[in-house]
Amino acid sequence: MLELIWLVLALALNLAGMGWLAQAMDVHWSQVRPGAEPASAATVRALRWLGGGALFASFILCLAADHASMAVLVWVMALAGAALITALSLAWRPTLLKVLAPWPAVSATSA
Amino acid sequence: MFPSFRLAMTWVHTWFGLVLGFVLMAAFFFGALSVFDREIDRWTIPASRFEAQPMPSFDRILRPAFETMQPSREGLDFIRDKVDGPLPERFDVPKTWGAYTTHRDPVLGLFAGFEVPNAREHDVVAFGSRTIDPRTGVALPDDQLKVGSQFFYPMHYSLTLNWMSLGYWMVGLAALVMLVALVSGVVMHRKIFREFFTFRPKKSTQRSALDLHNLTGVVALPFHFFFAFTGLVIFAGIYFPIGHSQLEPLHDLHEIVEASETGLPHDKAGIAAPLASVDAMVAEAQRRWASRGMGGEVGFLGLTHVGDANGFVSVFRAGTDRIALTGEGIHFRASTGEVLREDPPTTAVGSVAEFLTGLHLQHFRHWLLRWLYVLGGLAGCVCIATGFLFFVEKRKRQHARQGSQGARVVDALAVTTVTGMVLATLGILIANRLLPETLASGWPPRGDLEKYLFWATWFVAMLHAGWRSAPVARGGANPAWREQCLAIAVGAGAAVVLNWLTTGDHLFHTLAIGYWPVAGFDLTLLVTAALALVAARRLGRQGDARVRVGGSDRSRMTHA
Repeated sequence: MLELIWLVLALALNLAGMGWLAQAMDVHWSQVRPGAEPASAATVRALRWLGGGALFASFILCLAADHASMAVLVWVMALAGAALITALSLAWRPTLLKVLAPWPAVSATSA
Repeated sequence: MFPSFRLAMTWVHTWFGLVLGFVLMAAFFFGALSVFDREIDRWTIPASRFEAQPMPSFDRILRPAFETMQPSREGLDFIRDKVDGPLPERFDVPKTWGAYTTHRDPVLGLFAGFEVPNAREHDVVAFGSRTIDPRTGVALPDDQLKVGSQFFYPMHYSLTLNWMSLGYWMVGLAALVMLVALVSGVVMHRKIFREFFTFRPKKSTQRSALDLHNLTGVVALPFHFFFAFTGLVIFAGIYFPIGHSQLEPLHDLHEIVEASETGLPHDKAGIAAPLASVDAMVAEAQRRWASRGMGGEVGFLGLTHVGDANGFVSVFRAGTDRIALTGEGIHFRASTGEVLREDPPTTAVGSVAEFLTGLHLQHFRHWLLRWLYVLGGLAGCVCIATGFLFFVEKRKRQHARQGSQGARVVDALAVTTVTGMVLATLGILIANRLLPETLASGWPPRGDLEKYLFWATWFVAMLHAGWRSAPVARGGANPAWREQCLAIAVGAGAAVVLNWLTTGDHLFHTLAIGYWPVAGFDLTLLVTAALALVAARRLGRQGDARVRVGGSDRSRMTHA
């Protein structure tokens, strides 16, 4: 049961991590917030650290759930799945990813 | 020859990818299905729809089953030209017995190898196999094809082209080209990180096909690389067949040396000996595994030199709790039950090899990882399919101007290998549910008929793709894509309904009792049907838009 919780958390963190890393990129940042100013350098740095940290934490959770040899595979495959979901969300429902960084963005027109 | 390295790589990627992409598509698709081969077996053999069973008692269940076995039709066909004179009516001297199960098998596969009198070479063995219900020992009918593990799985690695092992070599070459395509693809791709998450479905078909090709190729790159590579490692013995060609004497000698080192007799003693209780040996093996802190289900149980004083029993562990295919074999003298040998821990190199083969062959118990593997396999399919689409989209208008049929042919073949392959798969499933349980005498075995209908469906899909392909030669789209998507939606839905009508196991029932092998496969079929419908609708809308654009073009031309 505990393994299941770790794995679900690992998948969630993996997805969040990919979402943060994507939003650290200019193109995707503005896809998620149409008409907003580009993210500041500090925000980009924060998003990258959040993303990288989440992926790392996801790996630790995979290790907690399974034998190391299995955890590596679960993590690598989950990365692929999370990246795919992120890319498809950006293509069809980009604003969904805003939940990962919900603070109000500065609109380009009001600035 | 090429102005730059990148262009050289582009040429390699394009042409090798195109030619072997068709084989790779089958390897990826049937590989993805093989992840759940046992579950597909349950769907196709309703009599085997019960919970997975552990290895049964050898003394009570397996031994009586082994003792009544004979070589199978395929086993006899295989040795026919390796024997002087006619084959005997009965084979009375078994050489080996084996039983193999996994944590997903309700039924148990047995095999027996028999000595062949008058064989031209010493190692000719006539093999027979049987599937039993491990709870009772009752055998399942011989002509029931396990569509998952005996058809989709061999399709994955050999295309079931067994003549001269041709299929193995084609798939092996395709895997090698896959590795080349991955490297050349990375070289060609200028923006691997900048476009990591990029898919622009609203841009031109050519652009969005390339986006999807890059996306599915890059995000699952480790999967693609390791599966192509480990696939080659698993069959290295076929691709470097030196053990049975130039170095055969050395190979044979090595077997003898190894036998003297392990203490497991290489040859028969020629003296008959009784068989002690194998159940007691299994209990001892489980005790030894438990003392090493390992789970103790038996995965493989084998007897070598059956009925001889040199006979020995080997008990291997089912490797459900780790990736590496180890087994921790423990071997016993068959006549006394004394332990002959306990396999030592593997070396570092051995562990790496076991991890690599194990990650591909998947004996582990981990449903999430299984589904992630399916995702990886399907990502590979999308990658190859969008590669074809990109190839066609990039060239078809130019080919139309030149009057060339190139793009048209490639597009028709792409339809055949993408939607046509799915249709063929549905064809065998529908045939499996529609054919009567027992066929009249004079008919081929039921399993063979199912295979014929698989190939027939695929062939019809190819004819359809070719017949509808003319618009591509004018720079248009092949309506077969949409039509076959619709056929997939109908076929997948029909398979689910037929499963319900012929077995009574509808989804509400299988979900309510939690019988996931059948419920999961039915749900997968329904999702397939839904996705195919969405694809067909989108293709329809694109077609309409193109007709409108084409129409206005023509009207402009007539006005001009």
